[in-house]
Amino acid sequence: MPPRSIGEEFTKGLWHENPIFRQLLGMCPTLAVTNAVINGIAMGLATTFVLIFSSIVVSSIKKLIPNQVRIASYIVVIATFVTMADRFLAAFFPLISKDLGPYVPLIVVNCIILGRQEAFSSKNSVGRSFIDALGMSAGFILALLILSSIREILGAGTFLGHQVLGSWFEPWVIMILPPGAFITLGILIALTFVIEHKIKQRR
Amino acid sequence: MSLSSRMVIVLTSVGLISGALLSTVGILTKERIALNKQLEIENAIITVVQGTHTSEKLYEEKDLVVYGSKDENNQLIGFAVYASGTGFQDKIILMYGTNPSFTKIYRLTILEQKETPGLGAKITDKDAFLQFWENKDSSKPLTLRKPAARSPEELSPFEVNTITGATISSESVLNTVRLSLEKLMSLKKEGKLGNEE
Repeated sequence: MPPRSIGEEFTKGLWHENPIFRQLLGMCPTLAVTNAVINGIAMGLATTFVLIFSSIVVSSIKKLIPNQVRIASYIVVIATFVTMADRFLAAFFPLISKDLGPYVPLIVVNCIILGRQEAFSSKNSVGRSFIDALGMSAGFILALLILSSIREILGAGTFLGHQVLGSWFEPWVIMILPPGAFITLGILIALTFVIEHKIKQRR
Repeated sequence: MSLSSRMVIVLTSVGLISGALLSTVGILTKERIALNKQLEIENAIITVVQGTHTSEKLYEEKDLVVYGSKDENNQLIGFAVYASGTGFQDKIILMYGTNPSFTKIYRLTILEQKETPGLGAKITDKDAFLQFWENKDSSKPLTLRKPAARSPEELSPFEVNTITGATISSESVLNTVRLSLEKLMSLKKEGKLGNEE
C-alpha cells in the first residue's frame, strides 16, 4: 500500500476509518453520553484532548519502550491525560462535569485511544500521529454530534437546550433512554455501510 | 542493559513522570473544585430560603447537613437542609428550606441525581416537579398525589406531586424530606440546632 498523504491521514478518520461508524470502537461513551448535544460535544472534546496528547507522547517515546511493557506504558500515559481532563472539567466546567459523571474517567478504557496508540502512534512519526489523532477525534466528534442531535431533537424536541420543535411535538422519551441510543446507532451504522457499498459499486 | 531492567526503568519513569504531573494538576485545581462545591451549596441555600443574607452550618452528619439562614437584621428566617436518600438508580442529594419551626417547606432543589433521563430526571425540572414543592405545610406528614396533578393549585398544602412514569423517584424525594424532617425535630429537641432567639 502506498503511503498516505497528510490530507488522507486526516480524512480517513472522518469516513473510511471512522472510529464509531466503521471501526465500531468506543461504543460505551458513544451510547451513554449522546442523550444531549452538549454532552456529546464535551465528551468529544475531552476525548480529543486525551487522544492527541497520548498520540504525541507515545509516538515520541516509542523507541524507548520495550515491546513487552508497551500496553502498560500506554495506559499510564492515557490515564494521566484523562485524569487531567477530568480535574480540569470539574474545576472550570462543573455543570458539564456533573452531567458526564463517570464517563470522563472511563475515557481511559475507550478503545479508540488505546487502539490508535497500538495501531498507529507506536509505528509512525510524531507529526503523522498528531494528524491521525486529529482526524480520528474529528470523526469521533462528528459521530457523537450526529447521534446526539438526532436523539435530543426527537427525544426532547430541543437542540443544545433550545426548543426547535413546536409544542405540537410529543417528545419520544425512548430516544434519550438507552434503547434510543442503540436504535439510532444501529440505523446510522447500517446507513454508512449502505453508502460505502454504493461508493464501491460505482468504482 | 538486560531486558528486564529496561522494563523496570521504563515503567518506573513513566509512572513517576505521570505521578508528578497529576499531583501538580491536583494541587492547581483543588481549590477551584472546592470553591465550586461551596458556591453550589450557597446558591442552593439562597434558592430554598429566599431572603437569606447569611447562613451558617449548624449541624452535620452523614447524609444530613443543616444550615441556619438569617436575614439582614440577623433574624433566623429558616433552615436550609441538605439531605440525601436512595433514588431509583443512585443517591439523590437535595436541599430544601423550612421555617424555623419546621411547619412549612419553602422550596426544594435537587443538587445531584442520576435518575433516568426523561423520566426520573424530571425531579430537577421546575415545571414538572419542583414547583409542586413550593410552600408546603409540613405540620403533618406530607403525602404523594397520584395520579399526578396538572397544576400546583390542585394540590392540598399537605400534598406533593408525582411525576408520571417516575413514581419511585418522586417517592424517594418525599421520603428523604420526611425522614430528615423527623431527624430535625429530634435534633431541635436536643438543642443541637442552636438557639433560635
